[in-house]
Amino acid sequence: MADFYQTGIITTLHRLGKPSLERIESELVGYSKTRPVALVLPALYSEFEGKAMPKIIDELAKVTYINKIVLVLAKASEKEFIKVKNLMSAVPYEVKVIHNDGKRIKEIYDTLGRNDLNPGKDGKGRSAWLAYGYIIADGICDVIALHDCDIVTYSREMLARLCYPVVNPNIDYVFCKGFYSRVTNKMHGRVTRLLITPLGRSLRTLTEDHPFMVFLDSFRYPLAGEFCMTTDMARVNRIPWDWGLEVGALAEVYRNYSPRRICQVDIAETYEHKHQILSADDASKGLMKMTVDICKSIFRTLASEGVVFSDGFFKTLQVAYLRMAEDTIMKFEADAAINGLTFDRHEEAKAVEAFTKGIGMAAQVFFENPMGTALIPNWNRVTSAIPGILDMLKRAVDEDNR
Amino acid sequence: MEGFLNLILEPINEVYLKFKGFSPNLLAMLTIIIIGICAAWLVKTVFLKLFKAIKFDSWCDRMGITALMRKGDMWAKPSDVSVAVIFWLLVTVSMMVGFSALDIQAINNLVNQFFLYLPNAFSAVLILFIGYMVSGFLSRAALIAAVNSGLSYAKLLANAIRLLLTVLFFAMALEQLNVAPNIVVSAFTIIFGGIVIALAISFGVAGIETARKMIEGKKAGSGKNDKGDVEHI
Repeated sequence: MADFYQTGIITTLHRLGKPSLERIESELVGYSKTRPVALVLPALYSEFEGKAMPKIIDELAKVTYINKIVLVLAKASEKEFIKVKNLMSAVPYEVKVIHNDGKRIKEIYDTLGRNDLNPGKDGKGRSAWLAYGYIIADGICDVIALHDCDIVTYSREMLARLCYPVVNPNIDYVFCKGFYSRVTNKMHGRVTRLLITPLGRSLRTLTEDHPFMVFLDSFRYPLAGEFCMTTDMARVNRIPWDWGLEVGALAEVYRNYSPRRICQVDIAETYEHKHQILSADDASKGLMKMTVDICKSIFRTLASEGVVFSDGFFKTLQVAYLRMAEDTIMKFEADAAINGLTFDRHEEAKAVEAFTKGIGMAAQVFFENPMGTALIPNWNRVTSAIPGILDMLKRAVDEDNR
Repeated sequence: MEGFLNLILEPINEVYLKFKGFSPNLLAMLTIIIIGICAAWLVKTVFLKLFKAIKFDSWCDRMGITALMRKGDMWAKPSDVSVAVIFWLLVTVSMMVGFSALDIQAINNLVNQFFLYLPNAFSAVLILFIGYMVSGFLSRAALIAAVNSGLSYAKLLANAIRLLLTVLFFAMALEQLNVAPNIVVSAFTIIFGGIVIALAISFGVAGIETARKMIEGKKAGSGKNDKGDVEHI
């Protein structure tokens, strides 16, 4: 059982005792009548061939408070798209499958491109953004929940706990991020444990507790891909399309809303999904790519908040991070020892070295191009440029699902 | 025997002579059509480049023309559709001109009718285009005005205005195309008249009480002075 300690400037909703799923779900059924909920699932076709997605579909079929599912299917042929539609028909409520590689959606991207609106490259960020656009165009749902499609340990309790803080009008949060422990016989989540937390704390020291770093440090699992938010937030938030998606999205939440209306919720006892390779020698893939993208996103957010970066700053940051990360490894070693978990200290140290290198690379990229790649514009901006775009998107999705 | 052979050869000879007289016309028709198709292809290419240069697609996106096309499940670029229309129009015209070179009375009549009908078709397209713009503008203006006035049915009102204007312009276009003009005019008069009468009756019936109060207020007000002025305690 978790403790009830509140950390940071946002609210933390713990798992205390054994909360009844039936009670939460029955409450959600009532609340969702006035606050309909849409579930966004960014998925690759390959995920339907793995063992996670069939279980997710089985669990979603039992959920009674979701108004509709918007599944954005990427890297799928026309045949595979039809197959996915058939698989999703097991869910007894409305499911819209957005065929990301279909001709209608490609035309939507072309329309955006020729109007100088860059929807970014193919990835989770763009898929999520497209799904938000459909939900806004549909105009029915007030709440959007999102989770990945590679969760092997998925249960519908995750979704219920994720939605509850935003759907319940009595507690009324606008954004809720999930957190969980990623432990099997060892601790996973290297990027969160050994990069985000020590880097965040080093930056807090160097920027004298900059409010954004305090905000970011308040999240127990900032890289969790599961969150729930109001549809209004989906209208105004911009989204990064690279690996900086989660951190960039949190930066937008920080920019647009008060931390008092943000929370994080413990959604699962344990969480298991696919693991990335470290790829210490190649910064174009694996965790190294993730490291560079995440660091760039943090540096650019801080720069936009007025923090001045210099060569000296980054040198100090690398040293401070390394020391902080080494201390963190020792903490996790002790944690693993008392819980009887396998702990490979050498592997962890190698990861820290790679992350230190990644921070340096991100700093260099930041110096070369401080503005970076633009975020995907928010839907308010898009509709002001192309007034009929939401109708077009809705039409495209509805026609594809006919 | 010679007479029998003549009986066979004469019609063949006659057909040959007719074909000989007709073949220059056929050749002229084919030449005109081929040149027409080449010219249409050239014009299509020029227009495609022009549309790209003036960012025609982007303009269509902003004006809502692309959205209109998508409503009809057309997913090609507006510029591609426009050049395709221009291309096929020119091909059709060149085919009509080509057919007229055959100098056959029935075809000549058909070609004349086609060219006489062209202005009507253009007018109808123009009316539909202007109608789309005007209905969009007025419905948007009504929506803004209604929202600013705090009307809860603002969207309904804007949609109703758009629908009515669309019906009006559609009827005008059909009338221009001479598609069953009597039926179109009658149907339009009945529908539009019916709507106006329904609105007048509903407004009148709903406003009886208000009108009575206003009249009574006026009567009563004529006896008193400055009813609406500021009163001091």
